[in-house]
Amino acid sequence: MSDTTFKQPVITEDGERILRYRPAQRYIHLLVAVTFVALFLTGLPLIFEPLSFLAAGGYSRILHRVAAVGFMAVPILYFLFDREGMKELIKESFTYDKDDLRWLTHMGRYFLGNASDMPPQGRLNAGQKLHHAAVIILGTSVVFSGVFAWISAGTMSDTLLSWTMLVHNVSMLGLVLLLIGHIYFTVVYKALTSMHTGYVPTVDARIEHSKWVAEVEAAEAEARAAQERLEEARRRAAQETGQG
Amino acid sequence: MSSSFLLDLTACIGCDGCTVACKTGNELPQDVSYIRISERVSGTFPNLVGSIDNHRCLHCADAACVNVCPTGALFQEDGLTRLNASACSGCQYCVQACPFDVPVMANGVATKCDGCRDVVRAGGTPWCVTTCPSNALMFGERADIAAEAHARATTMRAKYPNGQVYGESQAGGLGVLLVLPDDPEQLGLPRDPDIPRVTEAWQDFAQPIGLGAIGVSVLGAGVAAVIARRNHMNEMRALEEAGAGAEGNDDEVTP
Repeated sequence: MSDTTFKQPVITEDGERILRYRPAQRYIHLLVAVTFVALFLTGLPLIFEPLSFLAAGGYSRILHRVAAVGFMAVPILYFLFDREGMKELIKESFTYDKDDLRWLTHMGRYFLGNASDMPPQGRLNAGQKLHHAAVIILGTSVVFSGVFAWISAGTMSDTLLSWTMLVHNVSMLGLVLLLIGHIYFTVVYKALTSMHTGYVPTVDARIEHSKWVAEVEAAEAEARAAQERLEEARRRAAQETGQG
Repeated sequence: MSSSFLLDLTACIGCDGCTVACKTGNELPQDVSYIRISERVSGTFPNLVGSIDNHRCLHCADAACVNVCPTGALFQEDGLTRLNASACSGCQYCVQACPFDVPVMANGVATKCDGCRDVVRAGGTPWCVTTCPSNALMFGERADIAAEAHARATTMRAKYPNGQVYGESQAGGLGVLLVLPDDPEQLGLPRDPDIPRVTEAWQDFAQPIGLGAIGVSVLGAGVAAVIARRNHMNEMRALEEAGAGAEGNDDEVTP
C-alpha cells in the first residue's frame, strides 16, 4: 500500500477518516471520467440522428481520437504511477469469496440504500468487483474495436466494418450503463469525497467495508508496533553506548 | 417522382465522353471521377468476348451507403441516392459498405454521383446523358426508363441471346437500369449484391434498443436514487441513535 509519488496518512490522526484512494488513483480516475464522457459525447452523434449535425465537418471525429488517446493512456499511467494499486484492482475484481457471493444475493437491499446487515466486505464490495471486472473487459473490447476501426478506416470490408462497429457500440452501451450505476451509488452513498480528498468517514467504511477497515487498522497497528520496537531498540542502544 | 438512368452497355462505345462531361460539369477535383470506363475481355481463347465496363453509382434503393451513413449526409430522394457533403463527417463507412465500390474520399469527405441533382432540379439533364453520342444513356421517369430498357433488351436478343435488363431487383432495385449483352457475372456485376445484414441489425435494432436502455436507466436510477438516498440517511440516523454515541457520523459533512 505504498504510493511513491504522494504521501497521505492512511488513517487521519483523529481516526475519523480513512484513505480510500491515493492521489495517483484519483488523478487517473479523473482522466478516465473526462475522456470517457468526451468519447461518449463525440461518439453519440454517429448513432443518434438528431445530434448528427455535430458530426458534420469531422471535428467530433478528431476530438474522439484525442480523447481516445487519453483513455488508452489510463492503464499505462496506472502502471507507471501506482503499479501496486493496479495489480490490486485487477486481482480483487476477479476474486470472489463466500461473503461476496452472499453479498450479491442480498444486493437489492444495498441497491435501495441499506448498507448495514450486509455480509462483510473487503476493500471492494462484490458489486464494485463486478463493476470493475466489467469495465476492464468492456474497456478492452471498446479500445481494440476502436483502434482496429481507426487503423483500417476505408479499407475494411462492409461485413467486417459492421461487426467492428457492432462490438464497439455494444461495448460502449455496457460501459454507459455501468457509468449510470456508478453515479447512482455515488449519489446514494455520498461517496464523492473518496475521489475528491481521497478519504472516507471511518464510520461509513466500517459499515460497508468492515474487512478492509480491520485490515488497514491491523496493518497500521503493526506498523506502529514496529516503529515502537525500533525506537525502543535505538533508545537502548543509545543508553548502552552512553554507559560504555 | 422517381427518376432513373438507363445505361445500355450494348450501345456504349467506351468513348469516355460521359466521364469528361461529368468531371467538367460537376467541377470534380483532379483525382476524382464519378464514372470510370474500362474495357473487359471475357471467355477463353479463341472464343473471346469484349465489353465495356461503365463503372458508376447505380443508385440502389436499398443502399448500403445510405444505411451506414451515421449523419444522414447520404440520403434517398426521387429514387436516387444523394450526398450532402457538408453533413459528411468523413467516417468512410460508405466507402467500406458499398458493394459496387463507388464512394471515394476527397478533401476529407465522401463524394459520389448524386444524379446531377441541381441540374435536374433546374430542368436540365444529367451531364453524362447530355453528352452521350451513342444513345447509351437516358434519364427520366422510372416507368419510362424500364419500358425502354425492356424494349431494347428484346430487340437486341437477335444479336445477344443472353441479353437482359439488370437492376430491377438487385439491392432493392437500382436507380440505373442496365441493358446487358450477357449475364451480369460475365460483365463483372454481382447477380445479387451483398448488403451486410449485420449493418441493419446494428442500425435498426441495436441502436434504438441501446439508446432506449440508456434513457430508461437514467430515469430509473434518478427515481431510485431519491428513495435509496433517503433509506440510507434513515439507516445512518438509526445507527447513530442506537449506539456508538460518542462516535459521530461524518457522512453528511461536505468536503
